[in-house]
Amino acid sequence: MVCAAVSARISPSFLERIDSVRLTARQAGSLDINLISDIIIEACIGLPGIIIAESGDLYNLEVWRVKSILGRDFKYPETLAERTAVELAHHISLAGRRLIRCGIEDGKESEKESVME
Amino acid sequence: MRSEDKTAVLLIRESPGRAPDPSRMRELFGLAQAAGYRVLAEISQRRSRDHLFQIGRGKIEEALSYHPYRLIFYNPLSPGQVYNIQSQFGVRVLDRFNLILEIFSSRASTREAKLQVELARLSYDAPQVRNALSLKKRGEQPGFRGAGAYEESMYHDIRGRMAKIRAELAAREDKGENRRQRRREQGFDLVALAGYTNAGKSTLLNSLTGSAVIARDQPFTTLSPTTRALVVLGRRVLLTDTVGFIDDLPHFLIKAFRSTLSEISEADLVLLVADISDPIELLRRKLIASHKALWDCDVTSPIVTVLNKSDRLDERDAAEKVEMVSDLAPCPVLASAATGQGLGILEECLSQRLEPLPEHEIRLPYTSLGLSQLSRLYQSTDLVAVRYEEELIVRLRGRKEVLARAGLYKSLLE
Repeated sequence: MVCAAVSARISPSFLERIDSVRLTARQAGSLDINLISDIIIEACIGLPGIIIAESGDLYNLEVWRVKSILGRDFKYPETLAERTAVELAHHISLAGRRLIRCGIEDGKESEKESVME
Repeated sequence: MRSEDKTAVLLIRESPGRAPDPSRMRELFGLAQAAGYRVLAEISQRRSRDHLFQIGRGKIEEALSYHPYRLIFYNPLSPGQVYNIQSQFGVRVLDRFNLILEIFSSRASTREAKLQVELARLSYDAPQVRNALSLKKRGEQPGFRGAGAYEESMYHDIRGRMAKIRAELAAREDKGENRRQRRREQGFDLVALAGYTNAGKSTLLNSLTGSAVIARDQPFTTLSPTTRALVVLGRRVLLTDTVGFIDDLPHFLIKAFRSTLSEISEADLVLLVADISDPIELLRRKLIASHKALWDCDVTSPIVTVLNKSDRLDERDAAEKVEMVSDLAPCPVLASAATGQGLGILEECLSQRLEPLPEHEIRLPYTSLGLSQLSRLYQSTDLVAVRYEEELIVRLRGRKEVLARAGLYKSLLE
């Protein structure tokens, strides 16, 4: 599981500036809310501002519940810029996940080759 | 049926986890009136969802004591809940989504609008028919092969009709794209009016362009796009009024209205209209719904927010409200379409936010053909200077589409 945290400054309709992008990866057997909240907290350590995430990523929990689980200010995306930022984070996390999978598969192939030799 | 017989009782179930929101009932009241219903009573209840009737049985009995023609629910009703209420209480029911569809179908005047409404209705019906079919086929099958070909063909008929409507709408969308391209070639900037329903988009169109488009204080007065020309500080603009947005609409309804909403997504600038006289929570909710709809339409062009009906507030309250919605309102401009207040500032803001026209210098032959091209350029571009030498050397500001149409790209001076 890969979580991408994008720290950005936004205006109502545009992303004004991206300050940082952070990727956190973790192997997990299940996708329960505790695990998801842990990885979000880890990815956002030290990043200022409000955490924004897609409602589906947090099982459509009410905002006040997510706030209390994360222990940080939180909201679901409202403006065009917030939605763009969340979409950007989704693309980055997906790309990161693919890279990790490629790395794992390459590693397995090289292991096989060394066994064959 | 006479309009005075069209009576309804409005019902809303509020979630116990949320604070009660009276604006939802007001919105349902406005929708019911727009559909021609006379509202007899408004009933609300705070409780979790009832699987059989959506709301408590006692509340339905209370509603029936008014002897309405219909019960109108704010909350979406499942096919099972509709069946349960109709069979146990013998009354017709409607939920908010179907009420909106009823308004749309009664107001749809153009072929395109009628097709869009039909597509939305079929998109809503198709899964319900499939659900009913699977229920029928469960268990013992009466007669030869039981619920068979007839019901199956009903579902396929719906799918076939939907495919046909989609194809026709796609063809109309192409026509719309060609029309927009032609308008750009004539030197027009395309500006779309978007916003929550009953925000005053049509009134703003009327006061900006001096036209007389139908504008009423009720939701969904405009269904089909209406375009009027306007000159904003020397720039020729086509302003298009579009259908209003509304909260909590299913995704397929937005998809059904894609060809109409493409007027917004393909515009050079979007004027997002909001009613600043609404209470702040409601204003924020409507702006969030508008942002969601704009996101669904893939809008990438600049947005100017028109905070309309500012004449209903004093200056200090209006400034406070602008501050409170600053995170949701790009380039906010206070205006009143009814009194004309703030429209000058809006025009200035509009001309600033439109992409500046690039300056070109071109050569035209000093012949009758060149002079007729020059005459066309006078109409479609902003001519800065013309030098009459061996050739005509023209300096102008205009859209590249205008020059491309006139075949003048190759005449551009480097």
